[in-house]
Amino acid sequence: MNSSTESISDQLAELLTQYLKQNWVKSPLSNKLITASTNMVTELQLDSFQVMEYMLEVEDHFDITVDLESLSNIHTIEDLAGVVAAAHQE
Amino acid sequence: MSLLDKFAAVKETKNALGCTGQDPTAVVFDTIDTATLGTVNGRKTILAGTNNYLGLTFDPACIAAGVEALETFGSGTTGSRMANGSYAAHIALERELADFYQCPNAGVFSTGYAANLGVLTALLGSGDVVLLDSDAHASLYDGCRMSGADVFRFKHNDVQSLEKRLKRLETRANRCLIVTEGMYSVLGDCAPLAEISELKQRFGVLLLVDEAHSLGVYGEHGRGVAEAQGVLDQVDFTVGTFSKSLGAMGGFCASRHEVLGLFRYVSRPFIFTASPSPSVIATTREALRQLRSRPELRNTLWASARRLYSSLQGLGYELGPEVSPVIAVRFRDRDTALSSWYQLLKSGVYVNLMLPPATPGGASFLRCSVSAAHTDEQISTIIEKFTELKVT
Repeated sequence: MNSSTESISDQLAELLTQYLKQNWVKSPLSNKLITASTNMVTELQLDSFQVMEYMLEVEDHFDITVDLESLSNIHTIEDLAGVVAAAHQE
Repeated sequence: MSLLDKFAAVKETKNALGCTGQDPTAVVFDTIDTATLGTVNGRKTILAGTNNYLGLTFDPACIAAGVEALETFGSGTTGSRMANGSYAAHIALERELADFYQCPNAGVFSTGYAANLGVLTALLGSGDVVLLDSDAHASLYDGCRMSGADVFRFKHNDVQSLEKRLKRLETRANRCLIVTEGMYSVLGDCAPLAEISELKQRFGVLLLVDEAHSLGVYGEHGRGVAEAQGVLDQVDFTVGTFSKSLGAMGGFCASRHEVLGLFRYVSRPFIFTASPSPSVIATTREALRQLRSRPELRNTLWASARRLYSSLQGLGYELGPEVSPVIAVRFRDRDTALSSWYQLLKSGVYVNLMLPPATPGGASFLRCSVSAAHTDEQISTIIEKFTELKVT
């Protein structure tokens, strides 16, 4: 992970922490530190709708749009950071 | 893991749903006596989760039309319209829908789901862009994905979120379609179509509105939310279904664009499926006539919807954001929603249970859909049973 995606991962983790708090999502990891390797589905137990809602927050934060098709390949914060970095370069 | 192993998780979920004594996905209606009354587990049950907004499923004229079509044209068409040809009634219904929407073209599909898949896959392809409301129905998601277009979502009913995405499109805007619904079926809230139409004009994109739940319910003539908000002329493609207010089965698209007439040559969900049976088309045509000639059905529907909404609100329930014939009651967790749903069923009221991930915000809801055929007494009973839920 380079410094650019590391910085993006930090922002994504913070956004996800806020999302969990604001939406009262009960998750096994919600009170722990979310890291780049955190898996949103298996570890945080977010359902597909919640992942997609969180993605809308991410899109607005970074002023990007992410194609629906890309979402199926995103499992961890690090995966997502890669997508955000690629969208920035477009 | 084998191909079949993944069903273990499905089975676990199914078993968990049945823990109260009745799996909500396996309710059987032994009899349907009227548009709003049936029998479940030997108990007479008020039907308040059927989307039968105008209550036309037992209308004598609709039934007579269906019986006559069965006797005259037989039980089915046994094939697609492309291969086997159309029946005169298919063409007549398309003409009547075009007249209803005051546009030159309308097409009929075998289901509402097929209508969305058929229109979106015909209209869109690789290199095109869709801006899709995040709470849109699964058929709209599926149609967009199947089309091969780039699909970007905007926040539900959020005009600023849509505008941001339109700006980001830049030159791609000339190949963009905005996709929304009229009334959304989980919470009963309506799209801000007037503001969305303003954006559509400003950015020069096209607009598709799915009025599945709003046909016959909104607008002076029952054409839907776009009519109610005075922007029907801004909608490029209106899609809808016959399976709700029209009490039958099937779907349609109406458009002022002549190209709609060409969709049937490229739309696989139209080409490769059997056409609607004659009796279904006949009851739909009669129901559409009634929708147009009996505005009192809408008035009755709305009076009951307002009464039920205000009563449930008065009981302290957290409801969807606006009064509509879909009244969604939010519960704090899945288990409470499930047990409340079962208690209502046991006391003779059937509503829909809506659980994550099929719901906005990961919340659990009991969804009531009001019908023009509900009597005042039935609405009173529904209120009474929700009152009893509060004290148990």
